[in-house]
Amino acid sequence: MSGTHPTREEDFDLYALGALDGDEKAAFEAHLASCASCKMKLAEATGRMAMLALAAPPASPSPGVKERLMRQVLATGRGPIETAAGVAPEKEGIFARWWGLLLPVAGAFALASVLLWLHNEQLNRQIAELRITVDQQQKQIAQAHEIAELMTARDTVVVSLAMQKNQPEGTARVLYNAQHGMLVYDGHLAPTPSGMSYQLWLVPMSGAPISAGVFNPAKGEMNSIMAKVPPGTAAKAFAVTLEPAGGMPAPTGPMILVGPVS
Amino acid sequence: MTGEMTVTESRASDAALVARIVQRDESALAALYDRYSGMLSPVLNRILRDSQAAEEILQDIFYQLWRSATQFDASRGSLPGWLLVIGRNRAISRLRRHNPASGEELLENTVVLPTNLESTIAQQQLVGKVKGALDSLPKEQRAAVELAYFEGLTHSEIAERTGDPLGTVKTRLRSAVETLKRNLKT
Repeated sequence: MSGTHPTREEDFDLYALGALDGDEKAAFEAHLASCASCKMKLAEATGRMAMLALAAPPASPSPGVKERLMRQVLATGRGPIETAAGVAPEKEGIFARWWGLLLPVAGAFALASVLLWLHNEQLNRQIAELRITVDQQQKQIAQAHEIAELMTARDTVVVSLAMQKNQPEGTARVLYNAQHGMLVYDGHLAPTPSGMSYQLWLVPMSGAPISAGVFNPAKGEMNSIMAKVPPGTAAKAFAVTLEPAGGMPAPTGPMILVGPVS
Repeated sequence: MTGEMTVTESRASDAALVARIVQRDESALAALYDRYSGMLSPVLNRILRDSQAAEEILQDIFYQLWRSATQFDASRGSLPGWLLVIGRNRAISRLRRHNPASGEELLENTVVLPTNLESTIAQQQLVGKVKGALDSLPKEQRAAVELAYFEGLTHSEIAERTGDPLGTVKTRLRSAVETLKRNLKT
């Protein structure tokens, strides 16, 4: 192992930040190259410093970035296209000799033109399909941005929903802005039994619980719900209950998760 | 009673989406772009102060993910951590007119984030926490951290830029990262 371990824990963060230079940086890197435990500490420090990115002022990419990315992927990045290109020369080698004997050159050009035309048609179809997908995703991004901005508002509250006794394991959080009547739920829950669904409820300070969404999580997947309730609704709590598939107008089943609004 | 509008979705994990990218599933790349482009865009814009350049790098990062997904090993770190590190490195390189970083970054960097950022809520919560941690620093320490992180300056370069003694800059940054480490613990 080259050199000794850094004597101060902050050195890992300073290196991750890019602040070390000269001899300090060289000595750190020389030691790091052969020290697994220091590499692990650096990985943690790198993650810690990477989080500073989140302090940058909000900025959203234009929808065109995603469209250009997906076009780039379609144009250059698809495996099957590369594979097909790799196979093509061998076939050409076998048939080229026969074509030279059996077909006039003009016929070969005509065939090649047809093949190219067919290939072009296929690419056009793929581009059209992709454009539809991109349009849909742009709408989703616009909606997500709108909600993200709303959710960073000062009067938005975060509510942690706790697992209830003798119920399936799960965790969830709700961001709620009463003024705008907007909520976002994110949670992990076990898949529901057959014929059942989970249902998220906003329990208001007064009146009946308000349904904020019905969901059936797949194993290992996170569920998100974005819902709008009447603006100005003061919430006392949020809860998830187990209900017949598709949900109910009012809660009837056991409470799986509950979180009071403090 | 029912809410006016509800949108629900199930989300695959980052690792599952990366596995689908390896199978050449473009929709998986689109899903990861939706998940993390909003997190990356602010830092790229803050470093470069040029939205066109920031968007070029954003596109480039995700295209690299498409090309190099087989190299991503979830056991060696988190995807958003890698994206943040690669994004910052590329933006700083461009800002300082260094050569663009190589495509080997996915192999070289191991980044452990102390929290899972796969959900929008988690990202938004962390934004608040990081801003709070930076706000808690004395003004000079915060300025030094921002010069290092967002402009890619070393101790010596910060001293040169600000006119402060090198020793002072080192002490400020050391104190700052100590405080940040304490305040960013989850």
